[in-house]
Amino acid sequence: MTGRRVAVTGMGLVSPFCGDLVDFFDRLLAGESAIRFLRTDDVPRPLAMPFVSCSGFSADAALGRALAGTMDRFAQLGVAAAFGAWADAGFSRADTAQDRESWGVAWGTALGGTLAYENGYRDFWQKGRERLSPLSLILGMNNAANAHISIQLGLGGVSMSHTVACASSAIAIGEAFRRVRSGEAPVMLTGGSDAPQAYAVARAWEALRVLADGDENTAPQSCRPFSVDRSGLVLGEGGAALVLEDWDHAVARGAGIHGEMLGYGTSCDHSHLVRPEAAGQVRALKAALADSRLAPGDIDYVNAHGTATAEGDPVEVAALRAVFGEGAARLPVSATKSMHGHQLGAAAAVEAIVTVLALREQALPPTAHLTNLDPTCAGVDHVLAARRSQTVRAALSNSFAFGGSNAVLVFRAVA
Amino acid sequence: MDSLTLIREFLDSRLEIAPETVLPESKLDDLNVDSLMLAEIMFEFEDRFNLTLHRNLKSPRTVGDLVALMDRLRSEQG
Repeated sequence: MTGRRVAVTGMGLVSPFCGDLVDFFDRLLAGESAIRFLRTDDVPRPLAMPFVSCSGFSADAALGRALAGTMDRFAQLGVAAAFGAWADAGFSRADTAQDRESWGVAWGTALGGTLAYENGYRDFWQKGRERLSPLSLILGMNNAANAHISIQLGLGGVSMSHTVACASSAIAIGEAFRRVRSGEAPVMLTGGSDAPQAYAVARAWEALRVLADGDENTAPQSCRPFSVDRSGLVLGEGGAALVLEDWDHAVARGAGIHGEMLGYGTSCDHSHLVRPEAAGQVRALKAALADSRLAPGDIDYVNAHGTATAEGDPVEVAALRAVFGEGAARLPVSATKSMHGHQLGAAAAVEAIVTVLALREQALPPTAHLTNLDPTCAGVDHVLAARRSQTVRAALSNSFAFGGSNAVLVFRAVA
Repeated sequence: MDSLTLIREFLDSRLEIAPETVLPESKLDDLNVDSLMLAEIMFEFEDRFNLTLHRNLKSPRTVGDLVALMDRLRSEQG
């Protein structure tokens, strides 16, 4: 596809390590895990599982109490991340001189405001109340985050939310990318957020038997993608945002450019709700490369979907082997979910940021805790420890969701 | 608790508005109390005093209007 060049001019996230983007990436390079053991006081049975919390995040401090009070946690995390990306791009929230009527938002969330709905159920069925707060609906709606972002940043173009399970924010970023590339919008704010600690949501994931084992001592090492002893994924909350901008627009205003977004490919396995298929992932990978006008040999890093489920990891590696052929063995691949967990609707946005940082810093973060490679996941160059001073020209970020929806994002380093 | 104190406590907790600055003559618009927040205040009021509001009540403009509305309902239903 041809069209406008697309620059990544802003990035922001609510880090589970409580620091900024540089700190976040440094900790990933160091192989540090943000996963901790979560134990709630729910009755009759508490949640007790490895989890990634943004424990240092104060919505009141980040957003102000008045604004924070009109949002569910997923929207709070998303808007805070968006504010960070906006400032990183050099935009001011207060600047009304710019014409932002065509600028838009594309946001991903797998769950939306499930905590708000759950609070409503608790009010009805535990506390015996007969009515709900008038804020319940606007707290819970899936488009709450992008609506708040559009309002707060004064963006008058499209404001849309994408709910595609674990690929939600990959789809959002891809759709935002297409709008900038086509010239429809010079600037798009995109990303995703989720807060899956709602009791019924976490218990539903538990019932699927795809969550990692772990206790107070072992939780930090509980997510082990591609490892023969992997036991499943680790849920987490998070918010991450990127500013995608028309390249000429960014250059004209002297913006810093973190990287270039080149392409986006999607597909559906169209076969099973939770059992992934390599053929579908191959279609998304090939579509992304074609969209970028790149050959497999141009790719120097893949941030894998790599959730550490028994079925998912080997299928993803098989898809990479199929697309990259003999070059697969030399293709650096890592699954950073081993450290930041799986933030569902935020995951792809977090990993897109990791991918852009890998290109910007010419450094590859590892798959943590991968000491015993599963032979069924062999055939690519697994990054086992940080690699610095690398040549990283272009990179992929994979997201493969329940429902069989696949999305692959392509980024290139700034020359 | 009187109605003015309830309003002040609510605005302090939700908007961090110092209670002493919330006066009967204060306009709700100036305090950033929009229709949604007014619904929240009335919801809190109903809960606290176990009252039920009619849906077609005229929207108050000032804190004093809101206090008068609450006091009238409390005297009618209390």
